[in-house]
Amino acid sequence: MSEVPSFLFDGKAIPHTGNETIAAALDRAGIHTLGTGQAGCAGRYFCGIGACQACLVIVDGTRMEACLTPARSGLTVKRFVPVSS
Amino acid sequence: MSGPQALVIGGGPAGVSAAVALARAGIDVTLCEQGPRLGGAIHRQPDDQTQSVRVPRAHKQRWQALSDELAASTVKVLCRHMFAGIEATGAVLLEDRNTGRLVTRRPAALVLAMGAIERVAPVPGWHLPGVVSAGGLQVMMKSTGRAPSGAVLIAGSGPLLVALAAQMASLGNAPVAVLERSPRLMSLRVIASLLRTPAYLREAAGYVGTLVRAGCLPQRGAFVTAIVPKDGRLSVSVRDRGGRERQLLVDRVALHDGLLPNSNGTAAHPNGPFLVRAGDCREVLGGAAALADGRLAAQAVLAHLGKRGSDSTGAELAMARERQAQAALNTLFDYSGRDPTELPDDTIICRCEGRTLGQLRAMLDSRDPVSAREIKLNGRFGMGACQGRFCAEWVAAFVASQHADGSPPQSSEIVGSRWPVKPVPISAFVTLPPSHPSE
Repeated sequence: MSEVPSFLFDGKAIPHTGNETIAAALDRAGIHTLGTGQAGCAGRYFCGIGACQACLVIVDGTRMEACLTPARSGLTVKRFVPVSS
Repeated sequence: MSGPQALVIGGGPAGVSAAVALARAGIDVTLCEQGPRLGGAIHRQPDDQTQSVRVPRAHKQRWQALSDELAASTVKVLCRHMFAGIEATGAVLLEDRNTGRLVTRRPAALVLAMGAIERVAPVPGWHLPGVVSAGGLQVMMKSTGRAPSGAVLIAGSGPLLVALAAQMASLGNAPVAVLERSPRLMSLRVIASLLRTPAYLREAAGYVGTLVRAGCLPQRGAFVTAIVPKDGRLSVSVRDRGGRERQLLVDRVALHDGLLPNSNGTAAHPNGPFLVRAGDCREVLGGAAALADGRLAAQAVLAHLGKRGSDSTGAELAMARERQAQAALNTLFDYSGRDPTELPDDTIICRCEGRTLGQLRAMLDSRDPVSAREIKLNGRFGMGACQGRFCAEWVAAFVASQHADGSPPQSSEIVGSRWPVKPVPISAFVTLPPSHPSE
């Protein structure tokens, strides 16, 4: 059996289907808090279309919306910690 | 091609319709879509193309016909390309998410067809993980082909609530409840106004039938008063039409209070291309209108370029018909959200930076009147990463309600209009090539 495709989220392997966004894969893994956020507003999935910017995560070092970014094997994804938090 | 170039932003029905019409008139058209494929919110299908979600037949036929026209056209399609704004020299900035770079274009005309964004009125706890917009939940459902897991509550107002609930039920996880703030039911008068657009009646009947079978018809006149975290889930306080309160323990809450044009940063630039907005991005009238409005946007571009287009009478008639239908439908809903006087001071208003209603109230108490700049720069409402997309309209209405006299700031003044229209990674700029050789 071949290895299940996955990416790393804060060091944990998250399986993905190869045809979904990082947000969808994290949701299926039961992960809903995507970052520390600011003033009590934790990072989380909300609008799904890149408008609210609430689901920002760090993908291979760059801030990206989890809802718009395809999940790919080998990606290193981290929770986003804003400088002002 | 050496003729005039047009750039169309947004791969939903309005954008595709405009692009096809422009290409047919001999224009060199590039169509940009931020997602991995075309369709927009209305025609979204699972990312895994072996899956599909059920859609009303009229929608499917409309999109198939348009897709066929696009395939037969000369339109160049760029997916995962986002509109980042128009910079000082008038160049259009696009963020190419495939390469992580910004690219610049200098088209003669720019059609912005970026659809709608949702209104979600503030309620205590609406910023918690697990609370999503109804459209956001629908995106997740359509793009995965699966119903969202767990116990889901849908609340707010608008036709999307019923559509989402029915689609979830069809995929095997009906919501635990659907709360529709408006107490009004479908009336004979509304049905009569919709006879010219029977597709809406068929669609509504289909959804209602599904919800009757699933046993989760909307509870009219009911709404959410607060959401708090409880044991890893969400405890939701719900008030019904008779004023009775109860608690529901759920995994997700989907909120929605209508749609607004996704028009942040879409103002024309004096040095920029001829600019026209189309579809929900200009006026929220839905998918059928978007097709017609795309054609009208193309006509406007062709007229500007001194070219003859085709007859637009049909498109204008369709727009009038859809405008009447949407006006009739909207009488059934109540997009006002929770009365601000009922909201506690610690209610989050700015979801990006956690600015509260109490902080907004304090600003308004301190002096009078308060300017758009003060609201944004001092109050930081509309200052965060979403650039006011989810608070500015509400804040403007609240300020107006507190200072009825004078001229309260408009939502657009709080937001402003400058590029980039949404956050772009600095790495995308570092690698920006000169937009033309002399620069």
